Amino acid sequence: MTRSRIDLQDLLFGLFLVAVAAGTLVATRNLAIGHAADMGPGYMPRVVALALMAFGLLFTGRGFWRMRVGIAPVQWRPLLAILASVGVFALTAERLGLAIASVAAVILASFATREGRLVETIAFAVVLSGAAVLLFVKLLGLPIPIWPR
Amino acid sequence: MELFNNLLMGLSTALELNNLLFCLIGVVIGTAIGVLPGIGPIPTVALLLPFTFGLSPPSAMIMLAGIFYGAQYGGSTTAILVNVPGETSSVVTCIDGHEMAKQGKAGTALAIAAIASFFAGTTATIVIAVLSVPLSMLALKFTAVEYFSLLVLGLIAAVVLAHGSVAKSLAMVLLGLLLGLVGIDVSSGVARMTFGIAALSDGLDFVPIAMGLFGLGEIIANLERPSERRVVSQSIRSLIPSRADLRAAFPAMVRGTALGSVLGVLPGGGAALPPFSSYALEKKLARDPSRFGKGAIEGVAGPEAANNAGAQTSFIPLLTLGIPANALMALMIGALMMQGIQPGPQIMTEQPKLVWGVIASMWVGNLMLLVINLPLIGLWVSMLKIPYRLLFPAIVLFCCIGTYGIANSLFNVWLMMGCALIGYFFIKIGVEPAPLLLGLVLGPQLEENFRRAMLIADGDFTVFLSRPISAVILGVVAVLLLAMLSPQILKTRKEALAE
Repeated sequence: MTRSRIDLQDLLFGLFLVAVAAGTLVATRNLAIGHAADMGPGYMPRVVALALMAFGLLFTGRGFWRMRVGIAPVQWRPLLAILASVGVFALTAERLGLAIASVAAVILASFATREGRLVETIAFAVVLSGAAVLLFVKLLGLPIPIWPR
Repeated sequence: MELFNNLLMGLSTALELNNLLFCLIGVVIGTAIGVLPGIGPIPTVALLLPFTFGLSPPSAMIMLAGIFYGAQYGGSTTAILVNVPGETSSVVTCIDGHEMAKQGKAGTALAIAAIASFFAGTTATIVIAVLSVPLSMLALKFTAVEYFSLLVLGLIAAVVLAHGSVAKSLAMVLLGLLLGLVGIDVSSGVARMTFGIAALSDGLDFVPIAMGLFGLGEIIANLERPSERRVVSQSIRSLIPSRADLRAAFPAMVRGTALGSVLGVLPGGGAALPPFSSYALEKKLARDPSRFGKGAIEGVAGPEAANNAGAQTSFIPLLTLGIPANALMALMIGALMMQGIQPGPQIMTEQPKLVWGVIASMWVGNLMLLVINLPLIGLWVSMLKIPYRLLFPAIVLFCCIGTYGIANSLFNVWLMMGCALIGYFFIKIGVEPAPLLLGLVLGPQLEENFRRAMLIADGDFTVFLSRPISAVILGVVAVLLLAMLSPQILKTRKEALAE
């Protein structure tokens, strides 16, 4: 934990909300608002977005004048490894089949920690992949190819 | 007599062979994830949702419910033997439960925890059965106006009573509502915020969002902490508690059950808040409070009873009114909707077999838990020896496959990846993601009922105040929100929720 002059937690959350609210307002600018008795599709999104904007500005403002502890530094290894694992699964599952996608996803995910041993990880990935195919495709009938088409 | 007939009907549903089987599967999975720290019931239920499609609605709900209360049993095993809470609800059990284990009384602690849980589970089942009928009678008087107010109350109360900053939780509810609006608007047919992506036109699935925020985000954050060595050294000698132990534990068990039952019904309740309150109560009532923290048996019995009772009574708002009390109940609502059942006040009259079947199955499930937990304790302990470095890649893989399985769409896998990143961001900035899930699930209903109410009242906002039931409900909302502005109550809340 680092001491910081601003409340980074509040500030980041506030900015995040402002960005989401602004994005919503832009994305829904062409939707009809209507009026309370006969609401158009744009009514609710705009009401919610404006409320979010208010909260966002509140937190952003509070973040600037409140002294607090900052946030713990981001460790990139676990973050990137898990995201990459999911991404690789999404890229390969339908093209190369569940068996290969599973092995790839498990091996990538295990890079998230330094404790892994390569041989153990590969063996474990193969076993898990087999189990996943048996459980999800054979037993539960998930319509996904097992091998590359 | 109606109550008796209802329970009998429920029991006949719960005792059907396939429902027994799914109940058993549910409680076994629940115990397993309860024992393992780092996997909670929320991602597990989300993961299994896609595979409940093929089941009948009662079977699906019975299994998913089993996972939730099963996890409360399993969590205490880890807490007692390893001093690591398997679930947040068993944090308190660590204090005295592990101390008892250190003194060689691990078996007694485990047995008391299981007996307390069973006692609470049984009592809570009866509480649910008794409370359900009058609540559902009240619910039949509801129109869109009252239902909208009730949804607002559910959301606000969940925020006020749950962990974390109220203002931030409110913002998270709104964020969830916003996400719930994505997709084609039901009344006008116009696509909203779909950014031209076809997969978004039916709206965002909540399973990838729940798995990303709760499952994967949590894993990434767990991996940042240095791994701790878990030592399970205590050998379990005798599982049968002495008569003196039972006598000491019983009053605590009763008090814990009562406290848990009440706190569980409140929105935002569930399994996390009751054990802390029960522990505090036992300590206050004890003749010699200094024994607490040194292996006081009441410190195990009370909280264990409380978390089980709370886990079960948190089903009451869901089963009678269709309002989720916490994030997990929001997932259960999702499960109902996937089965084509519209949750709401009419659910008890339209689906009596389902509702009473689930209620009765809780008692059956608790009995199963008692049997699979005590004699099979060795099996669960050996599960603790699986290192996290093997566990988490398996969870990541199963999340990927499960997410894909809801709609056979890779888009959902990408969505989950995005939510994992956002979930990690939320953990980093210390924001609780549960309110978002509530907002997401309730959002479409909230908009629908608001619109209908406005149609009935011709755009007149005062309709929410001129109808008596709705006015009372909104009055409670106002009191809750005003109470949050009072520094005195804020302070007590902070202390009550502090771990």
